[in-house]
Amino acid sequence: MAMEITQFLLAAQSADANVRNEAEANIRQLQQQNLPGFLLSLSVELANNEKPAESRRLAGIVLKNSLDAKDASMKEVLVQQWMTIDISFKSQIKDLLLRTLGSPVPEARHTSAQVIAKVASIEIPQKQWPELIRSLLNNMTQPESHAAVKQATLETLGYICEEISHEDLVQDEVNAVLTAVVQGMNLAENSVEVRLAATRALYNALDFAQTNFQNEMERNYIMKMVCETAKSKEVEIRQAAFECLVSIASTYYDVLEPYMQTIFELTSNAVKGDEEAVALQAIEFWSSICDEEIELQEFENPESGDSSPHSHFIEKARSSLVPMLLETLLKQEEDQDQDDSIWNISMAGGTCLGLVARTVGNEIVPIVMPFVEANIVKPDWRCREAATYAFGSILEGPTVEKLAPLVQAGLEFLLNAMQDENNHVKDTTAWTLSRIFELLHCPSSGFSVISPENLQRILAVLLESIKDAPNVAEKVCGAIYYLAQGYEDAGPSSSLLTPYLTSIIAELLRTADRTDGGDSKLRSSAYETLNEVVRCSNITETSQIIAELVPAIMGRLSQTLELQIVSSDDREKQGDLQASLCGVLQVIIQKFSSSDDTKSIILQAADQIMLLFLRVFACRSSTVHEEAMLAIGALAYATGPEFAKYMPEFYQYLQMGLQNSEEYQVCTITVGVVGDICRALDDKILPYCDGIMTLLLSDLSSSQLHRSVKPPIFSCFGDIALAIGEHFEKYVPHALQMMQDASKACAHLDVNDEELMDYGNQLRRSIFEAYSGILQGFKNAKAEVMMPYAQHLLQFIELVFRDRQRDESVTKAAVAVMGDLADALGPNTKILFKDCSFCAEFLGECLQSDDEQLKETAGWTQGMIGRVMVS
Amino acid sequence: MADDGLAHHRRDPIKSSVGNGAAQRRRQNAVTVGKERRESLVRAKRLCRVGTSGSDSEVSMDNDMMIDEEQSILETQASAAVEELKSAVAYQGKGAMQKRVSALRELRRILSRSEFPPIEAALKAGAISFLVQCLSFGSADEQKICWEIVKLICSGHVILLGILQLLEAAWCLTNIAAGKQEETKALLPALPLLIAHLGEKSSSPVAEQCAWALGNVAGEGEELRNILLSQGALPPLARMMLPNKGSTVRTAAWALSNLIKGPNPTAATELIRVDGVVDAILRHLKKADEELATEVAWVIVYLSALSNVATGILVKSDVLQLLVERLATSNSLQLLIPVLRSLGNLVADKVIEVLGKCLKSEHRVLKKEAAWVLSNIAAGSVEHKQLIYTSKALALLLRLLSTAPFDIRKEVAYVLGNLCVAPTQGDAKPNLIQEHLVSLIGRGCLPGFIDLVRSADPEAARLGLQFMELVLRGMPNGEGPKLVEREDGIDAMERFQFHENEDLRNMANGLVDKYFGEDYGLDVSGE
Repeated sequence: MAMEITQFLLAAQSADANVRNEAEANIRQLQQQNLPGFLLSLSVELANNEKPAESRRLAGIVLKNSLDAKDASMKEVLVQQWMTIDISFKSQIKDLLLRTLGSPVPEARHTSAQVIAKVASIEIPQKQWPELIRSLLNNMTQPESHAAVKQATLETLGYICEEISHEDLVQDEVNAVLTAVVQGMNLAENSVEVRLAATRALYNALDFAQTNFQNEMERNYIMKMVCETAKSKEVEIRQAAFECLVSIASTYYDVLEPYMQTIFELTSNAVKGDEEAVALQAIEFWSSICDEEIELQEFENPESGDSSPHSHFIEKARSSLVPMLLETLLKQEEDQDQDDSIWNISMAGGTCLGLVARTVGNEIVPIVMPFVEANIVKPDWRCREAATYAFGSILEGPTVEKLAPLVQAGLEFLLNAMQDENNHVKDTTAWTLSRIFELLHCPSSGFSVISPENLQRILAVLLESIKDAPNVAEKVCGAIYYLAQGYEDAGPSSSLLTPYLTSIIAELLRTADRTDGGDSKLRSSAYETLNEVVRCSNITETSQIIAELVPAIMGRLSQTLELQIVSSDDREKQGDLQASLCGVLQVIIQKFSSSDDTKSIILQAADQIMLLFLRVFACRSSTVHEEAMLAIGALAYATGPEFAKYMPEFYQYLQMGLQNSEEYQVCTITVGVVGDICRALDDKILPYCDGIMTLLLSDLSSSQLHRSVKPPIFSCFGDIALAIGEHFEKYVPHALQMMQDASKACAHLDVNDEELMDYGNQLRRSIFEAYSGILQGFKNAKAEVMMPYAQHLLQFIELVFRDRQRDESVTKAAVAVMGDLADALGPNTKILFKDCSFCAEFLGECLQSDDEQLKETAGWTQGMIGRVMVS
Repeated sequence: MADDGLAHHRRDPIKSSVGNGAAQRRRQNAVTVGKERRESLVRAKRLCRVGTSGSDSEVSMDNDMMIDEEQSILETQASAAVEELKSAVAYQGKGAMQKRVSALRELRRILSRSEFPPIEAALKAGAISFLVQCLSFGSADEQKICWEIVKLICSGHVILLGILQLLEAAWCLTNIAAGKQEETKALLPALPLLIAHLGEKSSSPVAEQCAWALGNVAGEGEELRNILLSQGALPPLARMMLPNKGSTVRTAAWALSNLIKGPNPTAATELIRVDGVVDAILRHLKKADEELATEVAWVIVYLSALSNVATGILVKSDVLQLLVERLATSNSLQLLIPVLRSLGNLVADKVIEVLGKCLKSEHRVLKKEAAWVLSNIAAGSVEHKQLIYTSKALALLLRLLSTAPFDIRKEVAYVLGNLCVAPTQGDAKPNLIQEHLVSLIGRGCLPGFIDLVRSADPEAARLGLQFMELVLRGMPNGEGPKLVEREDGIDAMERFQFHENEDLRNMANGLVDKYFGEDYGLDVSGE
C-alpha cells in the first residue's frame, strides 16, 4: 500500500486530467475500503523523508481534510469519523505526525504542525491526547533540539491555541506553553525563524494568558519580551510583535497603564519611520485603545463605578498622539481613491484620528484645526487633501456647538474646493461634505448647517460635481444621500428639498447610467442615494415626481432582461443591476403604501410590476433574486387580497426561495415574504399552505440550513396561523413538535457565547410569536386543539422567566403569549393558571417596567387571566 | 487555516462610500417594516376580542331576534339571577367573591339585553338590596379575602376581583337607573354608596360606572336631583373632572350637566366654585377630543343658563375664545350645538359674526341652532339687539325667513321679533323699538310672519300673531293695519275665529276686533 499511495498522490497532481481523475478515484477507493489504514498510510507518507516532497505535501492536505471542513455539519461528520477509529491506529498516526516536526524538510514540518492542531482540536477538549503538550514542550527543552524542531513546535503550539479554548488546558499546561513561547522569543538564544514562530505563537496564546496577566511579575516579563521583540532587526518579527500589542490592547486594556510610556515610544517610532506593515499595526494599536475607551464611555454606568476602569489613555496621550496621526495623513498614495482594497498609512491614520475624536470629543478640535488651516491652502495637493481629510475625520465626537461655527465658516471653502485641480482633493472634499450632512444636518432636531439660503448653492455644486470622475461622483452621492436623509420626518423643512427633487433624481439616474465607473460601485451608490431621496421626501408634495420614476425604473429593469449573457461575469453584472433596480421599486412601493392616495399609483401599475418581477425570476435558472423577493413583499402589502391573482405564477419562486439553503439570506427573505403574503391574502393563501408548510418544516429539520433562518420560520408559523385561522389545525402536530424541540434546545445554548445567546433570544421570541399567532388564529374556533400544548408552553415561559439574561423583546413576547393562552382557551386554562405560581411574579415584574408597551401588554395579559379566573 | 501566517487586522476605513452600507440598511428597514406589521396585526387581534366579546356582541345580535315571548323568558331569567345573587351574597365560604362577581355579571348581562330590559322583574325580586350589599364591599370582607389571596395566582388579581364586584354592581344599578321614573326611584337606598365610590380611593372604572349611574338618576327629574345634591354628589363628581383621564372626565361631565340642570341655580353656582373646576373646563375645552369637549360644553350650557355667578366667572375667563375656536374648527354637530348654546348664554358681540357663518352652513340643524342662539342674544339687552341689527347676519335672517324650512324660519322669526321689542318687566306688553320694526318691515319681513300665523304649529302661530300685534300697534302713522291687510293678514287671523286653542283664538280675535273692527275703513274714508 505504501508504494501505491505515493504513486496515486503524485498522479493526482499530474497535468494530464485523465491520470489525475484516475488517481483521485484510486485514492477515494482506498479511503472507503479502509479508512484507518488509509489515514495511517498518509501519515507514514508525510513522515517519510525519503518520499518526494509533492506526495508528502498532498498526503498532509488529504489528512487535514479528513479531519476538518469549512461546513459545520460536514466537520461534525469528520470528527465523529475520527473518533470511531481504533486507538492503535490513531496513536501511530499521532506519533508519526509529532516525529515529522523534526523533519529537515520545512514544508513537511509546516504541514505536520497544521495536522497536529486539527487532531488536537478534536482530542484535547475530550482529554484524549494528554501527552501532546508535554511532548511538544519536550521539543523545546531538549538541549539537543534543532532550531528547525523548535520552530515547527512553536508553530504547532500557535495553531493549537488558535483551535482550542483556553478552558481545555489546565493552568500548569498554560504556564508551560507560555513559558516555552516567550522563551522562544528570546533574542540571545534563538534563531530568526524560532523567534518569528514564537512571536506568532504568542499572538494566538494571548487569550490563554488571563491568569498570567493578573500576576504582575509574569505580566512584566511577557510585556518586556513583546516590547523588546517589537524592536527586532527583522521586519516580520517586528510586525508580529506589534500584532501582539494590538491584541493586548483590547484583551488586557485594564492592566496596560505601566507600559504605556514605552508603547507610545515604540508606536511613535514605528509610525514615523518603520516599514508600512509595522506602522499600520502601530496605528492599529491606538485604534484598538480607542475602541476600548469608546465602549467604556458608551456603557458607562456611573452607579457601579467598580466595573472596568477607564484609564483615559487617549486623553492623556492626545497632544502627542494627534500630531503623530496628522503626519500620517500626508503620506497618501497616488491611486488610493480608485481602489477599495487599498489600506495604507494615511487611511489608517485618518481612521484612527476619527476614533480619537470620538474618544476625547471637543479637546481634539484645537489640536487639529491649526493643521487644517495651515495646510488647506498650500500648493501641494497632499497638504490640501490631508487638511480636508483631517477636518472630515473629527466631525463625529465634538459637540455640535463646537463644530457648527467651524463648519459654517468652512462650508463655502469646501464647496469651492469641489473645483480643485486634484482628484484626491475633490474626493476627500465630497466625503467631508457627506460627513457634514450626516452629522450636522438634522432639521428635525432643530439644527442644520444647511439653511434655505445656502441649499440652492450646495445642490448646484453637488449636481455639478456628480459629473466628475467616478470616485468623486461616488462621494458626491454620499453627500446627497445624507443631505436627503436629514430631511426625513423634518416637518415643514422637508419641503425645502422638494423644488430640487426633479433635477436630483435626473442627475442620479444619469450617474447610474454612466459606463466609466469600471465596476458597479458608482451605479449602486447612485441607486441607493436615489432610494434615500425617495424614502425621505415629503410625500404629499413629491408623489407626482416619484410616480414618474416608476415607469423609468421599470423600463431599465425590463432592459436588463434583454442583456446578452455570455459569461458568468455577465450574469453577475445583470444580477447586480437587477438588484439595484428592484431595490428602487421596493422603496417606492413602500413609500407609496403609506397613504391611500399614493397607493393607488402602485395599484395601477401592480400588474406590470409583478410581471416584470416574474421575468426577473425566470431569467435565472436555479436561484431566486433576493431583492426582487423583497420588493414583492412590499407589493403584496400594497395590493392586499388582490395579490392572490399573482400566486399561481409566483408560487414556484416562493418554493425555490424556501429551498435555497445555500444562500440562506435568500431563504430568510423568502420566509419573511411568506409572512407579508399571509397578511395580504388572509385565508386566500390556504391553497398554498400545504406546500409552504412542508418546505418550512423541512427547512427546520435540515442540518444544512444556516441556523439564522430558523427564528424567522417560527415567526412565519404565526403569520400563517393568523391568516388561515382554524385551518391551521392539520399542521399543529408537526409545527408544535418543532416548536417544543426548539424550546428545549434553547436551554442548552452556551451562555458564554454572546452570539449564541443573541440567537437564543431570537429563537425564543420567534417561538412565542408562533404560539401567539396560532392561539389568536384559533381564538374563534378550534382553540381546544391547543389545550394539550398549554402546559408545555407555560413551562417554557417559566424557563424563560427564570433566565436572567433574557432580552426585553423576549419578555414582551412571553408575557403576551400568556395572555393569548388565557384569551384563546378561556376557562379551560383556569386550572393551569391556578397552579402556575410564577405568573404573578412575572406579571408583577412586567407591570413595574419602564417600558410603556411592556406594561400595556402585561396589563392586557393580567386582564385576560383575571377574566379566566372569575369565569 | 492560517497558512499565510497571521490574519492581518484590517478595520473599515472611515472614508468609505455610501453604496454597500446603504443597501444593507435598506434591506434591514424592509425586514423591520414586516415585523412591525406583524406586531400591529397581532395587537389588533388581541384587542378585537375585548371590543366585541361577551355581552356586548350578544346584545347586538340578540336585539333583532327579541320577541314578546322572549321577554317573559328574560323576566324569569332576571328573577333567577337575583336569586343567585342573593345566595352569593349570603355565602361566606371559599371563593365567595368569585361567586358574587359571577352572579352580578349574569344579572348585568340580563339587564343589558334588549330594548326593554327586565328591570321591573329584577326590582320585584329584591335586586336593589343585594346590589347595595355588594357595593358596600369593604373592610369586613377583606379579612376573608386574605385567604383567597394566598390561593389566587396572579398579582393584582384579588384587587381585580374586588373591583369587578363593585364595577358589576354599579353597572347593574346604571341599567336600572336608565329605566322608567319609578324604577329609577328604587335606587334611592343605593345613592349614598354610589356617591361614596366616586371618591379618589376608588379605582377609576368603578368611579366612572358610579358616575354613570348617578347621571342617569339625576337626569330623571328635579326631585331626584335635589336628593343627590343634598347627599353631596356634586363635589366628588366635580373633582372627577379635574384630571386628564378622557373617559372618566366625559362621564363625570355628563353626570354633572344632568345634576345642575336646575331650575334652581344653586347647584350651578356650587359647581363653578369648586376648586379647579374652571381651570379643568378650560383645559378640556382647549385640548380634549370632540366627544369630551361636547360633554364639557353641555356643562357650560347649564352653568351659563342658570347661574349669574357662573356666567360672571366664565365670561372673565378664556372660555369664550375657546368656544369660538371650537365653533370655527369643528364639524361635529354634537359638539357645535352645546357650544352655540353656551355662546348664546355668554353672549358676546364677536359671536354674532361667527353665528352668521353658521347661518350659511349646509347643516340644517346648525342653522337652526345658530338662529336659536341669536334669538337668545336678541332677547337680551338693547345693545345686543343693536349688534345683531347692524350685523351682516340680519340680511341672512331676512332671507331665511322667506326661504328656509319651517323649523328654521320659526327660530329666525324669534330673532327678528326679539329685535323689535325692548326688554320688559313682568307681563306688561312689550315696548317697541320702532326703528328696528320699521326697517324690518321695510325690508319685507311681514309676509314671513303672516305665513307663520297660518301654520299648524301653535307656537309659530303665536309668534306670528305677536309680531302682527307689534306691527298693528307700532308702525308710525297707523300704517300697520294697512300693511297687514295688504299681506292678507286679516284672512290669516280670521282662521283662528273658531280655533280650538283658546289662547290663540282670543289673541287673533282681539287683534281683528281692535284694529279691523267696525270702525276700520270708515275711519279712513272719513278722513
